[in-house]
Amino acid sequence: MHAKTGAMANAYTSFEKTCYLFSCTENFKESLEILLDLIQSPYFTPETVAKEQGIISQEIKMYDDSADWRVMMNLYQAMYHNNPINRDIAGDVESIAKITPEILYECYHAYYNLHNMVLSIAGNVSPYDVLEIADRKLKDSPPVETRSIFPDEPYEVKEKYVEQKLPVAVPTFYLGFKEKASDEMPTLKELVCTDILLEAFAGDGSELYREMLDQKLINSTFGADYLAGRGYRAVMFEGETHSPSEAANAICAGVRKLKEKGISREDFEIARRSLYGRLISGLDSLSSTANQLIDLEFVGKTLFDQVEVIANITFEDVCERLKDQLDPENISLSVIRGIDD
Amino acid sequence: MYEFTKKTICDGVSFGNIKDDRFKRGRINATLVMPLDRKTAAANALLSCVLTRSCKKYPDFTSLNRKLDELYGAALYPSVNRFGDLQTVTISVSGLDDRYSLDGKSISSEITELLCSILFEPNITDGHFLEEDFEQEKRQLLENIDAEFNDKRAYAINRCIEIMCRDELFSISRFGSREEVAALTQEQIYKAWKNMLDSARVELCMLGSAPYEKTLAGFRKYFDGKPRKITGSTKVISEVGEVKRIVETEEIVQSKLVMGFRCACPKTIRERIANSLMSIILGGTPTSKLFQNVREKQSLCYYCASRVDNNKGIMLIDSGVETDHIEKAENAIMEQINAFVHGNVTDEELNSAKKALKNVIISTLDNLIAMHGWYISGTLSTFLASPVEEADIADSITKDEVIELAKKIKLDTVFSLIGN
Repeated sequence: MHAKTGAMANAYTSFEKTCYLFSCTENFKESLEILLDLIQSPYFTPETVAKEQGIISQEIKMYDDSADWRVMMNLYQAMYHNNPINRDIAGDVESIAKITPEILYECYHAYYNLHNMVLSIAGNVSPYDVLEIADRKLKDSPPVETRSIFPDEPYEVKEKYVEQKLPVAVPTFYLGFKEKASDEMPTLKELVCTDILLEAFAGDGSELYREMLDQKLINSTFGADYLAGRGYRAVMFEGETHSPSEAANAICAGVRKLKEKGISREDFEIARRSLYGRLISGLDSLSSTANQLIDLEFVGKTLFDQVEVIANITFEDVCERLKDQLDPENISLSVIRGIDD
Repeated sequence: MYEFTKKTICDGVSFGNIKDDRFKRGRINATLVMPLDRKTAAANALLSCVLTRSCKKYPDFTSLNRKLDELYGAALYPSVNRFGDLQTVTISVSGLDDRYSLDGKSISSEITELLCSILFEPNITDGHFLEEDFEQEKRQLLENIDAEFNDKRAYAINRCIEIMCRDELFSISRFGSREEVAALTQEQIYKAWKNMLDSARVELCMLGSAPYEKTLAGFRKYFDGKPRKITGSTKVISEVGEVKRIVETEEIVQSKLVMGFRCACPKTIRERIANSLMSIILGGTPTSKLFQNVREKQSLCYYCASRVDNNKGIMLIDSGVETDHIEKAENAIMEQINAFVHGNVTDEELNSAKKALKNVIISTLDNLIAMHGWYISGTLSTFLASPVEEADIADSITKDEVIELAKKIKLDTVFSLIGN
């Protein structure tokens, strides 16, 4: 569709949203018109659906072979009893097979309306040009209210340990600390506090990182991340290791010590600086900036609110946040081992 | 737009500066270029890891990383690559632009100093690196090599190259082999460090808004006046014998098919761009021949893509397929190449490939890591033209030129990784 303008077009679906996107170095206006037309003129027939079913099934199979993907999905399934985060984004081969054009139209009309959509643009373009195109191209859209209803989710994890065998040479692990979560998205302040906490606790300059390296439990693939959305929240640690259980034990021991002693003011300041630097540097990437604008819009915030939050966050805020996070009694460990391991 | 400056420091040591104030982060890279050699590849790779772990000034891993965090999350990392029959080791340091420093500190001077300490003042006592650094980085490099097997798409591509170029230097992995890394001694990597400073071709490159003069002076101090001897060139094979076929089996759901071809190894920038364009028409975009026909029309695979290595004169087509379709997919791919060779290229195919290639080339200007890639590739291949000039050349390539290049494609090796 964008071959004529030279734009690179793509689409992806994550747990929270579906995105249609393009990047270009010329013909921006024409490419934007094409994108806006495309999302407003769905065309599904039994033939087009059948063809995509074949392609998606292949894609699902490719993900089934991916240790990186499986170790993460297995963790979500171990942590969550009911929240839909425990289901693969692409579904499975059986559920894909049941899709009809009618289901797709129903889904389209429920979610693909302008009241549920964000247009985000980063780059050297005039906002007036964008508004003119949007006014001209976007059709009137009656307000449709879509409500996502999430099933109740217990606080406790579903399973403590899951393991799968795949042809890998180095085992990989994901360790998740499940937290209580409401149906609301986390606030910017909560996210920033957690980022600072994780940087200070498990970043490359931390005591934990050093100890685990010395014990040969991790390598440079080790990292910490925060999984947070509607109805699910968890701090996760991941990496390659020959001793997944020992690595998990070392992290839990570190967490207990952290809960008892807290982080130091110096570590807090260094982590905050590092986070500030990464945030500003992130603006160098147009695609990540455009993506961030969307994510922030969904929580009612802008890019510059983030800098404000980082500037104003206090040591006490982070200590307070720690109380609700990293419960060492509520964890799941997901491991991928080699076939003969 | 950027300003470009290039200076020679001494024999085999150059300094490039890409000055552009649009970016929030600046970068300095030191690329050391050496012949790809079985005897030294592993040592060079491990050396790059050990060097970036500590130095005299920050004598252990934790103090070095805390320093990077204090500098607003500066980053320091090594990367090792093949460029034709050359091995390149790049030590990169990047940090927030001085304009965003909150305490008035010049981040660019600090990261320059840091890079110089890393390269020239490593943590060495009596010809030995810190034993702990050596052991830790060796273990991690071995795990890194082992983990290449975890990603089956990348693994299959590497195996195809290894089989195809088994009698050439190019078959040497960028990290050396697992056995070679495991057997490395302290003496070998100390020697590799000495050798690197004395005889590697050195391409320094600074990118961002900071003035380059101080950084250049810093490097001059280390290299000036030292006699240096540089070696290394690439062997190109254009004739093929009987097609090599290797099949491996693995517990996977989706099988992989990788086909290795010999193709033109361009001698001019125009030919280089035309060769890339040829590969894009064949299998570089969603409008390409392979994607449209083998994937969309015949539903034989999930992905089917081609890429050329202009520095070595090889092209690879890799594909994720159902096991039952492997033979059909191979035939369908060869059919598309045949059609190409017989002149079956539409104006639309040519034009959309040109647009895609120009888009990639011009986008380089928006990303300093990509600009560094452009600089190194241009410098090492001796065809340094600006991205805008390259895009103009791409625009002027004719159908006949790409068809002539398609005729040079010859199948050399087929590697399949089959699911049980």
